[in-house]
Amino acid sequence: MSGGVATTRENPFALAPSEIEARSREIRRSILQMNSAAGQGHTGADLSETDILACLFFRMMRYHPDEPRDPDRDRFILSKGHGVGGFYCTLAEAGIIDPALLTTYLRFDSALPGHPVRQKTPFVEINTGALGHGLSVAAGLALSARLSGRGFHVYVLLGDGELQEGSNWEAMMAASHFMLGNLVAIVDRNTLQLADRTESIMALEPLAAKLKSFGFEVASADGNNPQEIVRVLTAFDKSGTRPHVLLAHTVKGKGVSFMEDQASWHHKIPVGDQLRQAIEELE
Amino acid sequence: MMAEARAQDLREAVVEELCTAADEGLPLVVLVSDSTSTSSIAPFHTRFPDRLINVGIAEQNLLGMAAGLSLGGFISVTANAACFLTARSCEQLKTDICYSNTNVKLLGLNAGVAYGPLASTHHAIDDISILLGFGTIEVFAPSDGREAAQILRYALGHVGPVYIRMDNTALPVVHGPAYRFQPGRVDVVREGKDLTIFALGTLLHEALEAARALSARGVDVCVAALPSLRPLDADEVDRLAMATGAVVTVEEHSLHGGIGSIVSEILADRGHAVRLARQGIPQGEFAKAGPRGRIREYYGIDAAGIEQACRRLLGMEG
Repeated sequence: MSGGVATTRENPFALAPSEIEARSREIRRSILQMNSAAGQGHTGADLSETDILACLFFRMMRYHPDEPRDPDRDRFILSKGHGVGGFYCTLAEAGIIDPALLTTYLRFDSALPGHPVRQKTPFVEINTGALGHGLSVAAGLALSARLSGRGFHVYVLLGDGELQEGSNWEAMMAASHFMLGNLVAIVDRNTLQLADRTESIMALEPLAAKLKSFGFEVASADGNNPQEIVRVLTAFDKSGTRPHVLLAHTVKGKGVSFMEDQASWHHKIPVGDQLRQAIEELE
Repeated sequence: MMAEARAQDLREAVVEELCTAADEGLPLVVLVSDSTSTSSIAPFHTRFPDRLINVGIAEQNLLGMAAGLSLGGFISVTANAACFLTARSCEQLKTDICYSNTNVKLLGLNAGVAYGPLASTHHAIDDISILLGFGTIEVFAPSDGREAAQILRYALGHVGPVYIRMDNTALPVVHGPAYRFQPGRVDVVREGKDLTIFALGTLLHEALEAARALSARGVDVCVAALPSLRPLDADEVDRLAMATGAVVTVEEHSLHGGIGSIVSEILADRGHAVRLARQGIPQGEFAKAGPRGRIREYYGIDAAGIEQACRRLLGMEG
């Protein structure tokens, strides 16, 4: 019951970086419209992670969009569950959920609640929203693949502020100890958390050195640049024995000038002229 | 039901059943948090070394990984002390296990005040209360090894989270070979018409001893264990209470949110009044530390204390 079995799954889109960029623009437009219509949402976080999600669903992950329970699919866990708006808009862009559903975001008993719920939405693997949970679950999934001889990869997207939760470091010890080379963590390193800069609230740096000392292969990239993201994620040896982490240097609120790098846009939504201006900037 | 002379540790019965289930090919993994000795898991570990996962002293990661392994197709069984399981990793329990409805079976070892002198960090007198506050999870408290093994077997076949409240002492097997655990069922171990005792888990043994003593004084006591707290046949609880009109609940648990609360709610919901005494650790208190027997005596949940509570309720004092 050991050793990887090559999966026959491929990414259903296999897009080039420039094509991923075009998808990112569409996802960002959806995020702005969806959050504005809902009257709520974590807009800054949604825009920060957009390019990472686009790279995963349009290039890296091997899955069938219409087979959310395929046991050999690559898994994605949104540990920073508050980034769910960007996740839903990515799923809609990939045709996994009906884009018309986006208008129900945050409504009573919606299929798209304000944090991911696996019983509600396809390709949500675990319910998140409380921080510091995703990496342990991802490690368990990665270990299950090894024990059962399945070849799937596990991707988990972590917020940077989230790394202040101690449970992440328990999970890192385990990922390294169990030699989970099929585990890829991505840190959305936009340097902002709810109240302020991570470094002024509770410093994470030197983050790369910390992650490396916990046994991870660490790489950095511009987390809003699909070409760089794809290059790093492709280069990771996912059949090896070291877990991987991509420090994705992102800009919170990316793509909209007045939202970029502003802590105040963590969970604000554009209204009126702001929405018009934001959409124009994405053109 | 015939009592057997044989005494058995609940853990021994459960680990034996785990080995049997693994032999049958069930895709089991057992996760421990440095709790290999606490769980008496050695026989399983010896036979299935690659199916025992020790995450170290890291209870949050224990549950997160258990959830992840279950999402990968395994039946995850965790085995660690109930106090740390329900308190240290409470949010993982809530989110990764209950809310996410993952296929994880939780053995809450050494629950209640089993750790007696090790004091309140190690007591779990709130586990039932915590778990019943969450959605989806089924909650069980076996009273002997035979029942514990059967509950485990049921849990392995049930898709979804299950908690099993465990004890760590060798106890007489009160259930005969014909006994078949059924989720929801109230386990009437002794019939009686004067008073009904509802007992949680292994306190059944103390309740039976109290009933025997009362019988010698001409008091005919019904003793019912509640091995299945969720689901629970509430109508049967009501029927057994109303049949005698006098109820004593006994639990090694806080009176907040344990079986005293559950039985009271069932009766109140139906507008049924009975004489009622709830024996346990008073709400708002941590339990005293000391030898377990002494703690049980202090809170009136040993045989003598239960007997006294029954007599008081029936106006037989003095």
